[in-house]
Amino acid sequence: MTAARALAAELSKLLSLPATWLTIAGTLAANLLLAVAFAQAALRGTAATRDVVDVGLASIGYAQAGFVVLGVLAACSEYIGGQIRTTLAAMPHRARQLAAKHLATAIVALPAAALTAFCGVALTALVLGDTPATFGPILGVTGYLLLTTLIGVAAGALARRTLVAVAVLLGYFFVAGPLLRDNLDLAKYLPDTAGAAMWFPAGGALTPAQGALVLTAWTAALIAVALAGHHRRDA
Amino acid sequence: MVTIDGLVKRRGGREILSGIGFSARPGRVTGFLGPNGAGKSSTLRVLLGLDRATAGTALIDGVPYARLRDPLGTVGAVLDGSGAHRARTGRAHLRWVARSAGLPRARVDEVLELVGLTHAAAKRVGTYSLGMGRRLAMATALLGDPAVLILDEPVNGLDPEGIRWIRTLLRERAATGRTVLLSSHLMGELAETVDDVVVIDAGRIVADGTLGEVTGAHRTLEDAFFALTGGGSRLTGGGAR
Amino acid sequence: MRALAAELAKLASLPAAWVAAATGVLVPSAVAAMTARGGPVPGGEDIGYQELAFGVLGAIVLGVVAISSEYVTESAESGGGRQITTSLTAVPSRTRFLLAKMGAVAIGGALLAVVAAAATMGVVQAGAQTPPLGAGDVPRLAGVVCYWALTALLAFGVTVLTRHGVVPLALFIVNTSVVSVTYLLTKITLLANYLPDMAGVRMFIRRLPDNDVEIAPLTAGLVMAAWVAALLVVATVVFTRRDA
Repeated sequence: MTAARALAAELSKLLSLPATWLTIAGTLAANLLLAVAFAQAALRGTAATRDVVDVGLASIGYAQAGFVVLGVLAACSEYIGGQIRTTLAAMPHRARQLAAKHLATAIVALPAAALTAFCGVALTALVLGDTPATFGPILGVTGYLLLTTLIGVAAGALARRTLVAVAVLLGYFFVAGPLLRDNLDLAKYLPDTAGAAMWFPAGGALTPAQGALVLTAWTAALIAVALAGHHRRDA
Repeated sequence: MVTIDGLVKRRGGREILSGIGFSARPGRVTGFLGPNGAGKSSTLRVLLGLDRATAGTALIDGVPYARLRDPLGTVGAVLDGSGAHRARTGRAHLRWVARSAGLPRARVDEVLELVGLTHAAAKRVGTYSLGMGRRLAMATALLGDPAVLILDEPVNGLDPEGIRWIRTLLRERAATGRTVLLSSHLMGELAETVDDVVVIDAGRIVADGTLGEVTGAHRTLEDAFFALTGGGSRLTGGGAR
Repeated sequence: MRALAAELAKLASLPAAWVAAATGVLVPSAVAAMTARGGPVPGGEDIGYQELAFGVLGAIVLGVVAISSEYVTESAESGGGRQITTSLTAVPSRTRFLLAKMGAVAIGGALLAVVAAAATMGVVQAGAQTPPLGAGDVPRLAGVVCYWALTALLAFGVTVLTRHGVVPLALFIVNTSVVSVTYLLTKITLLANYLPDMAGVRMFIRRLPDNDVEIAPLTAGLVMAAWVAALLVVATVVFTRRDA
């Protein structure tokens, strides 16, 4: 009962925040633009592949930034205007409150992720005049984006500062991660490379299922750390 | 009923609260007085479960805040600022708080009316004036019609009309048997509102009693306060006031 | 001059600026260490320089926080107070305030580039198979310093317009990735080679993968500087006209 109320409150918070909608809309729009760009590149034969699903999902590599930001905003918005005090006064059971926030963010991120992945592929199919052969990778991408969003929530709850969390996570996902991937064999077990195996198996040594498992383990571990930190620290 | 006993809080090696204890009883308005940095807000933050005590207890009706069954129905708290995200509307803020306690939506409009914010309910909190932000915080505190009200510097940022409104409200709450605990450094304001007074200075309780007892031989509560905290001598270089 | 000193002091007292500096120095030198360990690599003439092209991340964060910190309201007890109010009361001329900030950001970005380039090239030179630095590297290293300073100003200019750091930070970091969005655009139109970052890196990178467009280093610097100048003019006009 209290858990359901906490979830309702967290959902209400997330949905009444303009930043949530702006981030989702911005990500969706940016993903569509990039999908067109990738499709154009494929038409000119400068891309490595012409498979509709591969080309249509290539833009996700960039669009994931929007989901990371969505997760971080969900967590860090608590620390604007002293809202965290109101939150903890209303929901003093901290672990339950933060767990509810993760769940609420997942509920919002899931349809957004599925929509982003599907629209990108659909638009690419339109530009390339071809139909997708398989939908498996779209599911993989949806799961990947969902887990990435949750990593954003957990990291945001730990950092408490939007800019810090965004800089660290995006610095990892876009700069450090890819460089490690090229230089370090163990990098295939890191969250970004393992996660990429969920929808772009060509690059990694892991199967999509293994990749999903590894990324889920990373996400769960980070959420556990965030819950423990939230419980122990002064607000 | 608020009971604080042997409360110690250390932050970064510095002792902010050195074993303080007092209580706020139902049916009375208790004033928690002290100069800036004396430990008022730290005490209230521990009481509300925002910060953890190094030692000692701060209980509401005999339990720590975090273990209250129905937190919003038991305690309403106003700390500094609005306690709301600036991008949300006032009504949206109150709605999520109401959801967390399973309160009906109609209650949101009731408290908006009560604090006089109905006209600004659809505006974003970021556009609110300081006083409006305080009224929103007050509305949040009253949402669950709690038995205990805890307010940190409630009159800060309020205009004279707002001050009179809050004074009347606090007296009414106490008259109906509820507990009111408010902190302040504005003596003149307190003297007209409170029944009991607790004075804190540098993390220690230096006086605790009814308004009459604490004022004692001094002419006003303000004089008593300066005598107790040594603030007057600091400001006037030891001369008589 | 006094306004510039104030802005430099502000920047130096921001913890985020030091985190940015650490990132900017550690990322390229650590990656260079890994690459150098791996032995001779194709495109060896760009070793060290490629890493410095990623390390610009530090300059980006610096440019963003220099202005976003003026608007931040996240601190638990700030009560909605924003530093910009204090800043503009101290330096009432908005143009002068912004010019001072630009000066501080450019100096910060350039200093950071010098330290990062020294660290990265030191690591590269320690590797056995790398050719020693010669006279030809002097203009290239100067190019790195210009690129970092200009990128910091670019990130700064966009953040002046948005007033919040998240969007510019996300856009710029995403575009620092190994395969940047602007690089993708060059696959569609050759004009994309003249976007600020694609042109800018040519001040010091000799060979871009799958790219035949030649832009001389000096031209490249001028193209990027023109972008930055245009953006900063827009930012200044907007900043002086809107409410703080």
